[in-house]
Amino acid sequence: MPRIVREAALTWEGNVARGAGTITAASSGAYDALPYTLASRISTPEGKTSPEELLASAHGACFTMSLANELATAGTPPERLDIRCVVTMDEVEGKGHQIVHSQIDAHGTVPGCDEAGFAQAAEAADAGCPFSALIRASATVGVTASLA
Amino acid sequence: MATERTMSTTWRGTLMDGAGTIHEAGSGAFGALDVSWASRAEEPNGKTSPEELIAAAHSACFSMALSHALAQAGTPADQLDTTATVTFVPGTGITKIALTVRGTVPGLDEEGFVEAAEGAKVGCPVSKALAGVPEITLDASLA
Repeated sequence: MPRIVREAALTWEGNVARGAGTITAASSGAYDALPYTLASRISTPEGKTSPEELLASAHGACFTMSLANELATAGTPPERLDIRCVVTMDEVEGKGHQIVHSQIDAHGTVPGCDEAGFAQAAEAADAGCPFSALIRASATVGVTASLA
Repeated sequence: MATERTMSTTWRGTLMDGAGTIHEAGSGAFGALDVSWASRAEEPNGKTSPEELIAAAHSACFSMALSHALAQAGTPADQLDTTATVTFVPGTGITKIALTVRGTVPGLDEEGFVEAAEGAKVGCPVSKALAGVPEITLDASLA
């Protein structure tokens, strides 16, 4: 399979406490110059994104595709999947700030699939999702799954 | 103090033929973003992907960590320009992240900047969370 490459471009001006940066989707152009600051990262967002919000987007989107694939492979393609992802960063004693947990909650409308089958597909999706594998370097991953 | 950020995605149909939407950011920083397997695995065609979002998260986290380290060392940066490129191989996973940073840092020499950038690459929370990536490279120099 071909290697797939995606790029982001960032700027930062000033120190970390009072400075500010921008984030641009350099490959797709899907978003441009999103503002971010330390304050918006560690306290209330106030309309600004953060690495953790982008990780939650990436993990949620990656898991969703993985689950769609598992369900189709099992012969029960989904009509609709709704996935929520919560990423938590915390101060860990002796290690500073770490991404400690990513929680996925999956709801699906899947004709011909029962709760047990859906839960099984969600488990397989977590095992197969490239992002779930990566983030386990410092975080735990939790998955709940139920049919809509 | 723990901070949490939440995002939601809706998907309709199968992986190959279906399509998804990443809902508006909880922060309000960006609106709904479309995703599809074709735009992830082939040409983006204006759509984002998990890999592009990881590139955004990693370069943002790295920039903050480097800014902090430079200020701590008594040489705060005027400006840092960082690029992250994430490589995804279907069936294998995310195989590489390449970080490139150019900095304008009054009073700091090239060697000092590269050292600070290496430290930020190892120490930033997103680098730690993504430590499972087989290869993370860094190209750092003063602007």
